[in-house]
Order: sequence, then structure tokens, then C-alpha cells
Amino acid sequence: MFDKNLEKNTIAMMDLLPDASVNARAESPLAHLDQFHSHTNIDTDSISLQEKPFLGHLLLRGNADNTAFKDAIKKVLLCELPKTLACIYTNELSICWVSPDEWLILCEGDKAYKLEKKLREALVGHYSLCNISGGQTVLVLSGHHAHDVLMKSTSYDVADCSFPIGKAVTTTLAKSQAIICRKDKTTWELIVRRSFADYIWHYLHDASSEFK
Amino acid sequence: MTQKNRLSSSKNRGRINYKKPLTFTYGKKTYSGYEGDTVASALLANGVDIVGRSFKYSRPRGIVAAGAEEPNAILQMGATEATQVPNVRATQQELFDGLVCRATNGWPSEDFDLMSYVGKVGGNIMSPGFYYKTFMYPQSMWKNYEKVIRKAAGFGRAPQEPDPDVYDHIHRHCDVLIVGAGPSGLAAAAALAGTDLRVVIADEQSEFGGSLLHSSELIDEQYPQMWVERICTQLREAGNIVCLPRSTVNGYHDHNFLTIHERCSDHLADQASHQVRQRMHRVRAQWVILATGAHERPLVFSNNDVPGSLIASAVSTYINRYAVIPGQSLVLLTTNDYAYQTAIDWFNAGREVVAIVDTRTNPQGVRVQRVRELGINIITGSGVINILGRQRVNAVEVAKLDEVGEKIIGQVQTLNCDTVASSGGWSPVIHLSCHTGSRPIWDENILGFLPGETIQQQLTAGGVNGCYGLKDCLQQGYDAACDALEKLGCKDTPKPSFNKVEDIAEEPAMALFHIPHSEPTSRAPKQFVDLQNDVTAAGVEMATREGFESIEHVKRYTALGFGTDQGKLGNINGMAITAKSLNKSIPETGTTIFRPNYTPITFGAIAGRHCGELFDPKRYTAMHQWHIENGAKFEAVGQWMRPWYYPKLGESMQQALNRECVAARTSVGILDASTLGKIDIQGSDAREFLGRVYTNAWEKLAVGKCRYGLMCGEDGMVFDDGVTSCLGENHFLMTTTTGGAARVLEWLELYHQTEWSDLDVYFTSVTDHWATMTISGPNSRKLLAELTEDINLEKDNFKFMDWRSGTVAGIPARVYRISFTGELSYEINVQANYGLFVWEQLMEAGEKYNITPYGTEAMHILRAEKGFIITGQDTDGSVHPYDLNMAWAVNMKKTFSFIGKRGMAREDCIRPDRKQLVGLKTKDLECVIPEGSQAVNDPNQAIPMDMLGHITSSYWSENLGHSIAMGYIKGGINRIGETVYYPQTDGCVIEAEICSPVFLDEAGERQHV
Repeated sequence: MFDKNLEKNTIAMMDLLPDASVNARAESPLAHLDQFHSHTNIDTDSISLQEKPFLGHLLLRGNADNTAFKDAIKKVLLCELPKTLACIYTNELSICWVSPDEWLILCEGDKAYKLEKKLREALVGHYSLCNISGGQTVLVLSGHHAHDVLMKSTSYDVADCSFPIGKAVTTTLAKSQAIICRKDKTTWELIVRRSFADYIWHYLHDASSEFK
Repeated sequence: MTQKNRLSSSKNRGRINYKKPLTFTYGKKTYSGYEGDTVASALLANGVDIVGRSFKYSRPRGIVAAGAEEPNAILQMGATEATQVPNVRATQQELFDGLVCRATNGWPSEDFDLMSYVGKVGGNIMSPGFYYKTFMYPQSMWKNYEKVIRKAAGFGRAPQEPDPDVYDHIHRHCDVLIVGAGPSGLAAAAALAGTDLRVVIADEQSEFGGSLLHSSELIDEQYPQMWVERICTQLREAGNIVCLPRSTVNGYHDHNFLTIHERCSDHLADQASHQVRQRMHRVRAQWVILATGAHERPLVFSNNDVPGSLIASAVSTYINRYAVIPGQSLVLLTTNDYAYQTAIDWFNAGREVVAIVDTRTNPQGVRVQRVRELGINIITGSGVINILGRQRVNAVEVAKLDEVGEKIIGQVQTLNCDTVASSGGWSPVIHLSCHTGSRPIWDENILGFLPGETIQQQLTAGGVNGCYGLKDCLQQGYDAACDALEKLGCKDTPKPSFNKVEDIAEEPAMALFHIPHSEPTSRAPKQFVDLQNDVTAAGVEMATREGFESIEHVKRYTALGFGTDQGKLGNINGMAITAKSLNKSIPETGTTIFRPNYTPITFGAIAGRHCGELFDPKRYTAMHQWHIENGAKFEAVGQWMRPWYYPKLGESMQQALNRECVAARTSVGILDASTLGKIDIQGSDAREFLGRVYTNAWEKLAVGKCRYGLMCGEDGMVFDDGVTSCLGENHFLMTTTTGGAARVLEWLELYHQTEWSDLDVYFTSVTDHWATMTISGPNSRKLLAELTEDINLEKDNFKFMDWRSGTVAGIPARVYRISFTGELSYEINVQANYGLFVWEQLMEAGEKYNITPYGTEAMHILRAEKGFIITGQDTDGSVHPYDLNMAWAVNMKKTFSFIGKRGMAREDCIRPDRKQLVGLKTKDLECVIPEGSQAVNDPNQAIPMDMLGHITSSYWSENLGHSIAMGYIKGGINRIGETVYYPQTDGCVIEAEICSPVFLDEAGERQHV
């Protein structure tokens, strides 16, 4: 499980989830809200905001023009990496383009280490793969007014013509930032950093208030 | 109270709803009005003449206009303290039931006040620059003068209680933004309705239509109000058009970014319950169509400010739109045909038109003929040279003018009337086009400034182009829409929304701005140019006599256009008078430029939701809830909320710090260090890259080891520091300061992408991913041993500056044996979702050692006891590693250079008398030198004393039993043992000895145990 022969490692990789036998409590970045603020999730047809906690977040960096890199990725993920400003949803994964040499892969939390290992076994040459599952969380904003709430929160144009289903954009959200992915007509996934999650949650809650 | 000036409902074709009477309070009295009224129209209906006192001379003032250009009727609104809003124009505020307002101007009351006496006596001596000249000396007294002057002038006040309402921001993107929904704007919007384009149309009034709401010119043989209604329905149903009434486009910024101030509920109630009160739309538009129209220009003549003197179009608006006729008998003063309509409207409302005074000698236009047919007396070639009356117009003095309007050539006759309407023509509303830096151009034909050349994707239509005929305005709006369609690559040619439009031919207007008096301007009764700032024609002339030639200087000296109305009515007249006085043309004199915002905007709308708890993001660590529950006081570090200290019941801050510091040196303390920046670095050139960005060497750092590094800018000055660990041959984890994390990551990316893109390396921020807790103190090994089975903690196996992975409390962890306290320390890192769990396990297991959580303040003290620096506190961007006596952290022999190497070798950087960081021990052991204190060699030297450097860190050390300090001293490293002095603001002097900054365990044994 761990780096037995430290000195021989080129890359340190470890499963960050405890063994099933350990009776440990995991807390998502927004775990404190229900408990202490009486802020329950809003959930109506017009607007809904939910956290999708404990996913595996792997940040991949590499050269998209490198055939060996692309082939290895395809072999493991069974799909191509998304093009610029796009995201892909498969049964097991979602992958968003983040920057010209950067992609975020989301999977079930307990699959992250296995996936990282598989990718590392397949990939050769220069790349970087980083498990950042503890550092981010996913917020799902949906409903008829999700689009309006986003208009209040980001300067990016979120209209259908500029932000079709399957687009992913890393941009400012209120005074923080997020990766915004459009999953379907009325569902948006916002991937936010752990430390900003509370602020963003409250901001979105506030901006949603006229649609509740 | 009866509405004595309200037209009966049978005569009303206006926009008010007689079925919905409303009551409101103005000043101390209650009045009634109707739905559809503005406060101004309701006040006029009730016969309220005086709505304020003027700024400087405290003259009674009445309502002058009917829109955004109103200079006098400025209200303080709000029924409660919390809902106070200053600077509301009565002409734009819609009436609602229970509205409470008072005049802004006129302390202590608008009807009777102190300043009217001062004004009467002082009036003649209050020349331009009066305040500058009179109250400038002595300077120290200005604060006192200012209070009284401001109170007397009174442009409103802010509420003393928090605003209960919600304000909002929204971002919009569109292909075309149409500014103004008058004839041109609506014609443009109608042409774009149903196309593929995204269109926004905004208008500041309560409903779309602009001048058509009070006009009687027919469109397709119907009253224009019918056309407006039809177009509005079409726009609403089109699906591609966002209609924003009550929305002022207040700013036109670079790159076609515009800000719109929408008043969502200001027309409904004093306070918006459960809805947004105002919304700021931040619009990015491909093309902008300015259809902003024009403001009528009043004429400048003696006593033209007496209540009852209005601009002509405003009178028509009040009659036709609001069914209010603001007087009994009218004299109309005009230089043009258009204003004749006002006399027709007044006549049709059933009240007396005493005379029309036309400055032109022989007007023959269509409207003039119509007036003649009504039998109204027209006095040509003449001007109203003076108004008689103080609280309200009583009569006017009329005299023949010469052909150019510069001299009086005949007898003065007096006409009795109670209302004067004046029109000097129209000024296009070019404010928005000016916002982007475009200089307006004077047009001699329309006697006004037109929008100048622009680099924005901007089109203009209608009044803003100096085009005033209804047919032309509609046509221009339609043309602008077609233009925009073509520019956006659309092939459609829409049908115009109008066919037959009444076209009334007009004769040219006379270029006259200032009507002469029989006395010279300087002696004539005051002729007002800018009503809000009490700028007179005499004042403008005096400014030019005193040598102010640039219009910008005249503006500042006289305060012309400085008010909340930005001189919408007065500026052009002021420029014309300046030009005449300087014997120049208007284009030669030039114009001042309008800036955002077009009308005043509330702070609420500017702030939006970014206020209160949401003012600035607060970043939390995974253990934040624990800190709250355990009574931590917090400190903001960047945006992070970090525990500052954890006081126990009844403990002072210093007592808590003493307890926390002692625990960390005698047993075990625990710190939440999650906020430290963490950057994961992977790639075969990672090591090489580190060598270039850090000052020390990284070639030989083995896997499993950690090393401290200093990062410098190109100038050789330290900007960040931290420990970097070798996780694998091609894998490192860099830590940065809490505040520096983002900047360091950017710095690494910048150098990688622009300078060293050949190096195979990638950087990923993992700050949020790891929860980091540091246990520090002699018992920390014992504590950790209780929670881990798979990490060998033996002193000789897991050494200082090593890291190991394993499990802590069953959770996979990386443990770094590094120390910021100089004690035996372990930094435990786990995936952040397990941070709180592991923290709790440590607290539980640590109970027997009295494990003590400590905050940033104790951390600062503990590190200062060891002389460890904090970048940003002990450095300020002007110190290099040698100034810090950290030569050990610089390797000048690296094969490849490193950032800062050349910089720190500059001549100035190797001076021996540079300020250097040293320790300071006070003679009086109890005394803590205030941070920032300056050191001197001789406390008795006369001021200015020679200063040697300042204290950067200073604390009480409970562990040492005396105060400790770090600070800069010129050449300090070679002055160890010498005494310096710190004079204090209270006159006392603190004496201190220069010493090593390492106050505790100089040999560094404790961290190696």
C-alpha cells in the first residue's frame, strides 16, 4: 500500500482512503452546513442546489498532441480526452477540459486510486497525475432558474448559444472560481475548491432566494 | 388637500390612473396623488411651488424639468431610518402609497431657513470661488467650516442603520443593447424583434415610450401611445428581447461593457419585502444603439430660477402625461418652433397663455401658424429679460432684442403670469457616448454637441443625433437596427413598424443661450446657468475675467456641472457664455466630458450581494468547526480564517498565548497548518526547476528528505519561503506561505511557460486537498506513536527533515518531521475529508499530555523565539537573503543560475551598511517594543533623527521570561552586543541590545531529539 522502498520511487503514489476495517468518519467540505446552520439543500423545480461529495478527483496534465499519451489515456478511460472547453460524461467517469494541457477526471471516490494506478501503468513519458479528491467538491445546480442564478454569479455567458450542453469552463464564480460544466438543459455541475465551498454555497443560496 | 392643478379625468389622455388615489408625505404634510404620478407631478398637482433652497444663495426653488435632468427637486426619501435614500429626483421617483420624502436642500426646512438671510446679505459677496477664497485659511479650521457649509447646502444624507433590502447583480450578454425606449429605440427594437439576435432594451422611465407618452403627433393615424402599446406587446412576445423599464444605462465602459441600474421595487414601497430592490445589470454587448434622445435647454435670463419657471417640454409632459397643469397663466419664451407645442397644450388644457415671446423676428413655422390660429399673442424679436416674484413667478419683463439677441433695443413691458416656460432648443443626450472617451462635436445646424468618433461598436439614432422630427427619429431607429443586423451578419431585412407619420416642418432655431438684461450681466439680477450649483452668467464671465480660459478650469472654478445632475441643463449654456465672454466660438471653447454615472446610483446596487457575510470569501480548513466549537478566536490570513488563539474561560489573550506557548515547549501543542500553500511538482526536470527558483541547491536532496528554501524575485529580494520535500525522484511537494500560495504557483507557471518550457515539469495546487496538523513539543513522538503502527518513529530512522508515509489513526497519511517551533515536531497530512477525524483522534490520544491547540499568534511567538522569519512580516520585498543573515540558504555555485542571483549582487545590495535582521533584547526585560518602532543610536539627537531600522516582530516570551524582538538595524550583524534606542510616541525611550535573533536553543538540539 505504501512506498516500501522510498529511495527507488520516481513518483510517490498512495491510496488516501482508509481501509474498510477502519471505523473512520469522512466529512465533505459542506458537512458542517446541515449540522450547524440549518441550511438544508434547496430543492424545488425552479432551483435546486445539492452537493455531490466524496468523488474521486484526479487532475491529469500532459501533452494532448502526443499520440502515445492520447493512446494510453484512451486505453484506460475508453474514451478520448474532451476537446477544448468540453466535458464528457460516461457511465463511470466524467472528464472536463481545464486548460490546454490539463483535464479533471471525476470518478467514484473509492475508484480513484485504482484509476490512478492504471493510468500510471499505461502512461509513458512526461505527464502529471495528481489525486486532489480532498481539495474539491461538486455542487449540482439545477432547475428552470439555474441559468438565472448563474447569470448572477459569473460573468461568463451561460446562454444556450454560448454554453451548450457538454461545455466546461473554468471561470470566476462570485468572488471565487469554479469549473462549470453543463450536464443537460437545466443541470450544471460546479466543481469548487474545498476551502471556498462554504462561501460559494452561501452565495448561490442567496442568489437563488428569489426563485425558491 | 385638493389637487388644484390636476386636470379632470374627462380631459385626461395621460398615463395616470384616477381610480387609484395614493397618499404620500412630503416634508411635514400629507398629499394625495394617483398611480402613474411621479413625486414631482403629484407635488405640482397639489400646488407645491417650492421644493428646496439653492446651494449657495439659498433661494427658493421649484420643479424645472420632468426627467433625469431635474436640478432642484432632489429628495431625501425613506419612511424609516434604515430606508433613507438621498439624491432621489422627484421627477423620476414614481409615487406609491405611503411614500415619505422631504426636500434635500434647505436645512432646517425648505420653506423657511437660516441661509435665506445669509443668502440675502451674503449673496452679493458670494462670487465664484467664494468657498475657496473665504474658508481656506486657516487650513486647520476647514473641517469645521465644512460641516456647517455641507449641512446648510445639504445634498442628502446616508442612513444610519443597515439597509434592510437586497440588491443584486446580473451579467448579460447580447448582440444589441438599445439604450432608450423612445421613438427611435422602440423602432429599432421592433425591427429586431423575432430575429436570431439577443437584444436588450433599457429605459430609465417607468414605461417605454419616451416623448411619445406625452406627444400628440400621429403615427399611422393613431395617437402615438397606441403605437407604443403595440410595439411593447410585440417586443414582449418576440422571445429574443429583454425589456428593462426603470433601468438607467448609467455607464458605457470600454469594450462595449455597460452598466444598467434597474430599480425593481422602488416604485412599490419604502422597503422591498422578499424581493430584490435594485439590480445592476453588467452587460457585454456586441453592438450598442444609443437612442438616448435630447434634453431641452432652458434659457438664461434674470431671476430665471424663481419657482414657476420650467423648461417648455416639461410643461407639456406634466399636462399630457400626468394631467397636471403647473399654473394658471403662462408666458412661453422660445428660440424655436417646437416649444410652441407647449403653448398649444396649455391652451388646450383650458388655462391662459398670456403670450409667447419668440426671440426670432419673423417666425412662420407650422406650429407657429397653429398657435396664431388659436389667437394666442406672439411677441416676436423679444425676450423675457427678468422674472418678478420671489416665492413664485408674478410677472415677467419683456423687451425687444437686437437681431443677434445681444442687446435690448426697446421699452420693457411687464406681463402678469405665474408660469414661465423657456426653450433654448435641445441638447442631445451624449453622456454615454462621452463615457468611452469620445469627444463630442459641435454642430452649428442643430446648435448642440453630437456624439464624436468612437472606437466602440456603437450606433446612434434619433435625438442623440440632433434629429428631432418624429418621422426621422423612427426612421433612424429602424436604420440603426438594420445596420446592426448587417454588421452582425444577418441577412434579414425587417419591415418598419410604422408607415405614415405626421411630419411637422420647422424653421431654424435662433442660436441664443443668454438673454441680455438692460443692465450689464455683472449688475443685472442673477441669471442662472446651473441651478443646482448656483452658477450664474455673471459668475462664468467673472471666471473668464480672472483668467480661467479652459472650459475645464471654468467648470472647476465656478462649480458649473458639478452637481448630482452633472449640469444636464446648464452645461451648454455655460459653455456658450464662456465662449462669448472669451470672444471665441463654442467649438474653440470646447466642452467638458461626462463621466459615469449618468444619474446617481445607490451603494446598494454597486455592492449587490457582495456585502455582509458575502463581502469577501472566507476560506475554511477541514477542522474549522472544531476550532469554532472550542472557542477559537480567528484571524484572517489572506482569505483564510485561521485560529488566532484559544482562550479558556476568563483568560486574557496574553494568558492564553502564554499557556499555548509553554505547552508546545513542555508537552505537546497542536496547530492547524492546512492553510500553508502546497504545490505538487511532477516531472523528470522537477529537481532542476527547483534549483532555479530557490536560492539553494536541490540536486542532492534524497527521496524521503525535506529542505527549506528561499524564493527571490529577479531583484534578489525574498518573496516567499517554505519547505519542499522530495516525494520521489521526479516528484516533490513544495509548501509556501499561506498568503503566497497563489502567487507562487503563478510564478512557477510563468517561468515554466515563458522561460523554461523545455523543462519537463507540471505543477498542481494541492493546498485544499491535504489537511495538515502539526504536533509540536517533547511529547509529540509519544503521541504520534499511539496512533500509528506502520511508521517507524525511531529517532535514528525518522530524522529531523525526513518524511514518511503510513497511517495515522487508521488514515493514510504523509508525516513530515519538520518544525516551525524548533521543537520535536511532526506535520501530519491526510486527505482533507479525514482531517477533522484525525484531529479529533489526536486530541483524544493527547489528553494525557494535556495536548494544547495553539493558534497563529502562539505560532508567531514560538518561531520568533527561534529567530525563524515570516516572509511578509520580517521581510517587505526589500531584503535579500544576506540581509536576513541567511547566507546558508544561498548557493552561488549552482550550474544553472537561479532567480535573484544577479539581483542580489548589485552594488547597492552588497553595501555593508544595509539594514540587516537581528534580535533585540530590551534592557527592561518586561518591556515589549511596539512593532514598527524605529531604532536610533542617540535618543537625544534633534529631530529628524538618524533612523537605523524598525522592529518587525516583537512579543512577550513566557518560555524565556522576557520580551523578544526582531528588527532591522543598519549594519546590524556586526553590531551584536551594542545598544540602540527606540523613541516612542509618548516620549519615552526603550533601550535594547542587539543580539542574535535565535533566543532559544541556539544549537538547535530540541528539534533533533
